Amino acid sequence: MIHVFSHHDQYYVYDVGSGALHACDERTARYLRGEAVELGEEDLRALGDLKAAGLLFAPETAVPPPKPHEVKALCLHISHDCNLRCRYCFADEGAYKSAREVMPFETAKAAIDFLMRESGSRKVLEVDFFGGEPLMNLGVLKQTVAYAKEEAARRGKRILFTTTTNGLLLDDETIEFFNAEMENVVLSLDGRPEVHDAVRRTVNGKGSYALVARNIKKFVRARGDKHYYVRGTFTANNLDFSKDVLFLADEGFDSISLEPVVTDIEGLAIREEDLPAIEAEYDRLCDAYVEREKEGKGFLFFHFRIDLEGGPCLQKRVSACGAGNEYFSVVPNGDIYPCHQFASDPEMRMGNVFDGKVDETIRGRFASNSLFTREGCGDCFAKFICSGGCSANNYHASGDMNKPYPITCAMMKKRTECAMHVLAERKSREK
Amino acid sequence: MIKTIAKPAEKKVTGCGECRSTCQSACKTSCTVGNQSCERVTREQKIDEK
Repeated sequence: MIHVFSHHDQYYVYDVGSGALHACDERTARYLRGEAVELGEEDLRALGDLKAAGLLFAPETAVPPPKPHEVKALCLHISHDCNLRCRYCFADEGAYKSAREVMPFETAKAAIDFLMRESGSRKVLEVDFFGGEPLMNLGVLKQTVAYAKEEAARRGKRILFTTTTNGLLLDDETIEFFNAEMENVVLSLDGRPEVHDAVRRTVNGKGSYALVARNIKKFVRARGDKHYYVRGTFTANNLDFSKDVLFLADEGFDSISLEPVVTDIEGLAIREEDLPAIEAEYDRLCDAYVEREKEGKGFLFFHFRIDLEGGPCLQKRVSACGAGNEYFSVVPNGDIYPCHQFASDPEMRMGNVFDGKVDETIRGRFASNSLFTREGCGDCFAKFICSGGCSANNYHASGDMNKPYPITCAMMKKRTECAMHVLAERKSREK
Repeated sequence: MIKTIAKPAEKKVTGCGECRSTCQSACKTSCTVGNQSCERVTREQKIDEK
C-alpha cells in the first residue's frame, strides 16, 4: 500500500510496507494515485527500480510477532491529589473519581517489588511518577527512587524514571534531585498565558501561568542536555494552537508537546467539525517549524518527530504502548489498572500489588490487542506509526478498545504527513 | 521524477524491549510509537560512527 500526499506544492509517496518515504513531482503523484496520466520511460523505470528494491508497493508483514508477558513499565500514581484545578483534567482534578490521597511508601515499595518480579529477563525498566501532582508526595517519591535503584542494581537491571508535574512546587532542591535522577521530566504548560490561565487554575480559581512558568523556566535552564518536555493541552478554545507552540519556543523551551484535550466538557471538547481548522493549524505550525529550522532556531515538537530510518521494530509497532500487558498503573491503595487513563474505570481493576497478581482475563484482552485487531486500521497509511491509537481513548469513546476514535485518527494522519514533510525538508538541507 | 527521502535501516534485532515505554515519552494521551527511535539501532550507529 502507498500513500500519496502533498504539502503545498511538494508531493510525497509513503510506502507503508517498507516504511520508505519518497518525494516526487505532481505528475508522478497523479500517476500513483491512479489518474489517467502518462509517464516517460525514465520515470517508469525509476518506479520499477524502487519496486524491485522493495521500497514501493512492498508487501506488509501480516502476522503479528508474539508479545512478551514480562512487565516493562509502571505508572505510579504517587498522589491522587492536585494543587491545581484544571477544567479539562481527565483525572477528575487529581482524584480519579475517588478520595484525595497520596501513596504510602509501603505501596510504592510493593509496586517496585511487583515490577522487579514480573519483569523477568527484561534489563531496562521504567517507572513514571504521575498524579494528581507527584510533588505533593515528594518524600515518598524520593524514597521510591532510592529503593528502586537499589533493587534494580541487585538484580542486574537498569531503571529509568520519569515525572510528570505541573511545576507549582518545583523548587531548587527538587530541580537538583530531578536532574540527578529523572531520565525525563514532563512539565505541564499550555502556551500563551491567557490560554493557560483559562483552564489551568489554582484551588482558589486563579490562573497559574505566572506561578508555574517561572519555575519551569528555571528547571529547563538547569536541565542541560537531559530529556524534558514542556507539555501542553489544546482545546476547542484555542484551535489557533500553533501560536501556543511558537510562544513556548519563544520562551526558550526547545522540547515541546501539545496534545488535543481528552474531555467531553462542552466548549472544551474537540468535535468533528473542528477538524478542518485543526488540520489547517497543523499545516501552519509545520510551515513555521520548517522556517525556524532553516533559520537555525529549530526546536523539537513531539508530533513532528518521526524516525523512518531507525524507528521501532515491527513488534513494537504492532503492539503499541503495551498497556494492560507490559505496562500498568498503580494507584495509591496499590490497585493495578492497565494504564493511567483507565484508573477511573472500576471494571478495569486488574489486581493489587500487595497480592502481586494481575487478572489474566483482563490482561489477555489487552495482550491480544494489536494493530491487526483494530477496526479499520488495515487500510490506513499511518498504521505502523500510530499502532492503532490509544486503547483508553478508543474504549472511552466507543466502549471498544479495538474501535479507533475517528477524531484522533484524523489528527494523527495530519501530524504524520507534517512530520514527513519536516523530515524531507531537513534531509534536503543536509545535502 | 521520484526520489527516496528515507528508508528504514536494516535491523539486527526485533523485540528486544530496550526501547522507551511509549507512554513515558511526552504525551500521556496520544502515544505514538512512530515518534520513537529504536534505541539499540541508535546505539549501534553511534558505536559505528566512533
